[in-house]
Amino acid sequence: MNSIKNKFKTGSIIMASVMTVLSACNKAPEEIIGPAPVVPTGLSLAQTLAATPTDSLYYRMIIRGGMLATISNTANTYTMFVPDNVAVRQFVNAASGGAIPVAAPDAIHSNFISSLLPASSAAGIVGYNICPQKLVTSAIPATFPNFQFPSILNPAPSLSPFLRLTTFPSTRNGAWLNNGPLTSSINIAASNGVIHHTAVVTTPPSRYLWNRIDTDPELTYLKAAIIRADSGTTAPGFLRGVLLNIGANLTVFAPTDAAFQATLTGAIYQGLVALGSPAGAATLATATALASTPAVFSNPALYSVLSAQTVKGIVVYHVLGSRAFTNNFPTVTTSYPTLLNGAIAAHPGIALTATFGVPFVSAATVKGAANATAANLIINVSPLIPDPSGTSDQHFLNGVLHKINQVLLPQ
Amino acid sequence: MRKITSFLVTFLLANIFSIVAFAQNVTISGNVKNSATQENSSAVSVSIKGTEEGTFTDDKGNFTIITRSVPVTLVFTSVGFALQELTVNSSVSNLKIGLIPNNDLGQEVIVSASRVPEKIMESPVSIERVSAAALRNAPSANFYDVVSTLKGVDITTSSLTFKSPTTRGFGGSGNVRFNQLVDGMDNQAPGLNFSVGAIIGLNELDIDNIELLSGASSALYGPGGMNGTMLMTSKNPFKYQGISFVVKTGLMHTDESERPTSPYYNWALRWGKKISEKFAFKITSELIQAKDWIGTDYRNYDRSNGVMVAGNRQSDPNYDGVNVYGDETTGDIRPVLQGVAAAAPFLAPFISTLMTNPIKVSRTGYTEQELMNPNTINFKLGGSFHYKLSSNTEAILAGYWGTGNTIYTGASRYSIKDFKMGQYKIELLNKNWMLRGYTTQENAGESFNLAATTQNFNESWKPSPGSTGWFAQYGQAYVVGKLNGLTDKDAHNGARAAADVGRPAIGTAAFTSGYDKYRKIPAPKGGGLLDRTDLYSVDGSYNLSEYTKSFADILIGANFRKYSLNSQGTLFADSTGPISIKEFGAFVQASRDITAKLKLSASGRFDKNENFDGRVTPRVTALYKVAENNNIRLSYQTAYRFPSTQQQWINLDLVSYKLIGGNNDFIKHYKFDTNPAYVRDALKNGQQVKWNFPAQKPEALSSFELGYKGLLMNSKLLIDMYGYYGNYTDFTGRVIVAQSKSGNPIAQADADTGQIYSVPINSTEKIKTYGFGLGFDYRLPANFSLSVNFASDNLTDIPLGLITSFNSPQYKLNASIGNAGFGKAKRMGFNVAYRWQDAFYFQGDLANGTLPAVQTVDAQISYKLPSTKSILKFGANNLLNQYYYNAVGNSFVGGLYYVSFGYNIY
Repeated sequence: MNSIKNKFKTGSIIMASVMTVLSACNKAPEEIIGPAPVVPTGLSLAQTLAATPTDSLYYRMIIRGGMLATISNTANTYTMFVPDNVAVRQFVNAASGGAIPVAAPDAIHSNFISSLLPASSAAGIVGYNICPQKLVTSAIPATFPNFQFPSILNPAPSLSPFLRLTTFPSTRNGAWLNNGPLTSSINIAASNGVIHHTAVVTTPPSRYLWNRIDTDPELTYLKAAIIRADSGTTAPGFLRGVLLNIGANLTVFAPTDAAFQATLTGAIYQGLVALGSPAGAATLATATALASTPAVFSNPALYSVLSAQTVKGIVVYHVLGSRAFTNNFPTVTTSYPTLLNGAIAAHPGIALTATFGVPFVSAATVKGAANATAANLIINVSPLIPDPSGTSDQHFLNGVLHKINQVLLPQ
Repeated sequence: MRKITSFLVTFLLANIFSIVAFAQNVTISGNVKNSATQENSSAVSVSIKGTEEGTFTDDKGNFTIITRSVPVTLVFTSVGFALQELTVNSSVSNLKIGLIPNNDLGQEVIVSASRVPEKIMESPVSIERVSAAALRNAPSANFYDVVSTLKGVDITTSSLTFKSPTTRGFGGSGNVRFNQLVDGMDNQAPGLNFSVGAIIGLNELDIDNIELLSGASSALYGPGGMNGTMLMTSKNPFKYQGISFVVKTGLMHTDESERPTSPYYNWALRWGKKISEKFAFKITSELIQAKDWIGTDYRNYDRSNGVMVAGNRQSDPNYDGVNVYGDETTGDIRPVLQGVAAAAPFLAPFISTLMTNPIKVSRTGYTEQELMNPNTINFKLGGSFHYKLSSNTEAILAGYWGTGNTIYTGASRYSIKDFKMGQYKIELLNKNWMLRGYTTQENAGESFNLAATTQNFNESWKPSPGSTGWFAQYGQAYVVGKLNGLTDKDAHNGARAAADVGRPAIGTAAFTSGYDKYRKIPAPKGGGLLDRTDLYSVDGSYNLSEYTKSFADILIGANFRKYSLNSQGTLFADSTGPISIKEFGAFVQASRDITAKLKLSASGRFDKNENFDGRVTPRVTALYKVAENNNIRLSYQTAYRFPSTQQQWINLDLVSYKLIGGNNDFIKHYKFDTNPAYVRDALKNGQQVKWNFPAQKPEALSSFELGYKGLLMNSKLLIDMYGYYGNYTDFTGRVIVAQSKSGNPIAQADADTGQIYSVPINSTEKIKTYGFGLGFDYRLPANFSLSVNFASDNLTDIPLGLITSFNSPQYKLNASIGNAGFGKAKRMGFNVAYRWQDAFYFQGDLANGTLPAVQTVDAQISYKLPSTKSILKFGANNLLNQYYYNAVGNSFVGGLYYVSFGYNIY
């Protein structure tokens, strides 16, 4: 009997042990593992630049601007536009007022960047040339107008966390940033972003369109026209407000004073004849005299001809509600709406066309609906002359300005 | 009609008062002991052979019986002992009877299989029985766990005190295909549709036996017993007397993975007293107190598609954790981004690069661990008065009342707080008939829906919509993050941190007062549940065998039920007043021994619900005796059930969808007649399948079962096996439909952005079910016993898209070894039980997902103190503390280790 008992005792122990083994594996709910997040590997943006000898000068600028930590942060993702050493040397040459020749040894350039270039300027340039997220060139559109993409540079963080200076990359007829060409060294992947090399240093705009119009000696008529337009009873001050608004995004075709004089002389002459003045040299001389200064817009005698409403119509006909650098102009004449279309939706707008040289636009025209011929854009004498010296592709916080040689007539 | 009624009354009265007057002049008394242990044997039936006179031994084993004349033959019977007869020739006061323990298998008497007593060996359908003795030696701290060791039984554990058994599929916290009857009363909470046996049922001391009919049992027990019926019978105070108590103290959470180690208390009391031969009463009570198990399933659930998906709160902005609440509120932040782009046009091109796909984000939730009050408490109070109108007829007035806190899983997890439910009955019980009326009174107390409460609470500290709302703040911060070059994940997490500024932290006064406010506000503005649904039921049966013996044994019965749904719009569509549902049913059963070896029985039942057509369900059984104690059973049964109260009338807004019933009134209410709904799965694929809300029908099941029960190997081995095959018609499942929110014609996008409803559907396809069970009980020498059972349940031919919630593992195995008396004077006892169930895919209103296989080991060792009939027990449930869960979203159950002392246990 005892032996039976023992057998069963042993049996139960064995059974219990088996159960122990079996039962040691109830599963807790297992989190479903999705596709593993892509862990970026390889060099960071900072490391990539440090390892690229042709980026050494810009690397100095990054350090000067205190931006190394930003591009070393592998938790974030950025797109960097990086001017290569050739571009930076030109920048240093210009920034030093020519004191440092382009051909000077890199050590000289480097030293300038590290000690003479204000750190805030360096930070601004580098910040403006960094965009959030990864923007490979295939994602940059080639459509008109220019694609607007924010940089990481917030000019007034205390005002709004959304505020950003924006850049205008394009892949129309090549690859560009604010009308400055990119080199062939683009889409270089780093663990925390992508690098596109630029052939020029793209500096952040610091002025508004109005600042230029207000001060440019060749645009005094335009300025006076704007002031006249803004003197109207409806939305007074509107145009200057827009031209001073950082949130605006405009293209201004700015007729030069000569263009205004020509147009106004003709218009006043015709007006005087219509009012009974005899056609001929005398009336023409009177008209020429009246149109000889920007004060023509504030001459009460001409208010019936140049009413605030009429002038406003003419001015807004020169403004696009988007930013178009010449590299994004169409090569086949194409019409685009202007701000005038805000009032007259069906208006045909203005017709643009450009002729491309290598690599820049060599000629461009813009034609008003009522103009007999197209106005020419006054293309920079040499490429990439920045504000305030250039005549085309002048970049501002709120737009781009091209000088033209005719006043555009909507009707 | 009046004639029939008066005839019935006369008939009943004649039965009650058919007392033959006699002179009571011979008194016989004595004492009954267990001859093996010398313990006093209580509740032993002492009857006079050839008469209906009898009594029971009291808690000290004493009995007194009075008879007209001597000599008489006294018959002593008790479960687990050999029958003993003794002839008494004169009045005697000190009879000493020693009952010899009889370990024979298969000799128990069951009642529920045919509604008349018969030996379990001869049951015509599959039945399992748990005796009080089996409960005594079981390792489970809660008697419901014992049921899970029976063949083919699955248990869904919502929490410590909330266990829902089922057979043949359809497991779930609220299971409407399985009846649970306590002393003849359906103990399903009539509104919440869950059985409350563990909360407001019997306490373990008062359980005489549990019988479990697996398979369709509607023919005898009415709609609802589609998959099975469990009948719990309490101890009659005439038979079981004296004060008994159990004090159980244990430990839970010993690994501290959910919360610190906490005590478990379970105190139960029963007092049964026979005042006279005519009058007896009993009082029962139980208190359970512990820190409950909680759900800690933090998997990410895609509620709109009903599947688990990858990700967690850090990696998925639209994370919706199974046991995390408040994160059900979700939205696409692209409109916010569009707003930013409109206000800052210079960012528009950049923002448009972020908007190629929907950016869905969910509000930050709180975990169940943070929200759920850990204290579970359950207090039960019950009692009954029994009066013998005659030796044949007993009148019973009984009440069971319970209150407590527990956790339930429905469409969300519910904290059942201060829940109260009472069942009160009056019953007349005759040898040949019975008449019973009872009512169930439900009061959900301060119960609340965790998801709805938390969602509304979140809205209270920061509304989701609006220009300064949570989503706006999130979307704006997300754009800023992206503008700063943050990765998507970091931008989302930063945005969440920004939007969550001001989020009340757990434990702060702001949280507690705010949360308390919203859990008390009724849904949908808060999470409160105001259920006060009641049920009234009357049923009766008459065994006409006395009159029809020559032809067949005939049993007839009828019942009437009335539900009064009352949730004040928080659960049902009853905001304008209670909804009443009436049901009526009647059955007849005839059985006859065709030959000495073959017994046939047939029964039929007719049921009618006021919202549905009447229906007849037949049952035919055959029992063929192959040899003594070896029987083959064959049965054909149909079963059906009316849609549950919730399937008819529920109206619950779960934010991501509305869960509604199938009553036609919903068509007008939700304007489906003018703005139709379409099957969402089809709509997603571009097909427009209009949902016409066909009239809801009761679901029916016809099934065949073949079984064998036999004693082999010199009666040491009991084998019971069955196989079944059935067909469901008009199977009630659910289907997801979408309706245009704007009232415009439906579009493909409405599959995502429209108003989504989950509506009941009667499948037009026949759905098949089949399975088998196999059980062995083997009596080893020296009182050891070994039991093994294995079962399988299957549902096939399910149409695509039908949510069946079958929720049963395909295979399950139970094995146990035990000894109810060994060692010195057979005082020691032990039992080790092992359970394994297969992995399966679970479908529930809260969440769907694969449940892994579960294995548990329960064990106990006990020591008896015969002088006081006391037992000291050390037990462990889930001995190895291997946390398991048996429904998605339910609590994770760990080890419970206890020591208990039971006094006067019989």
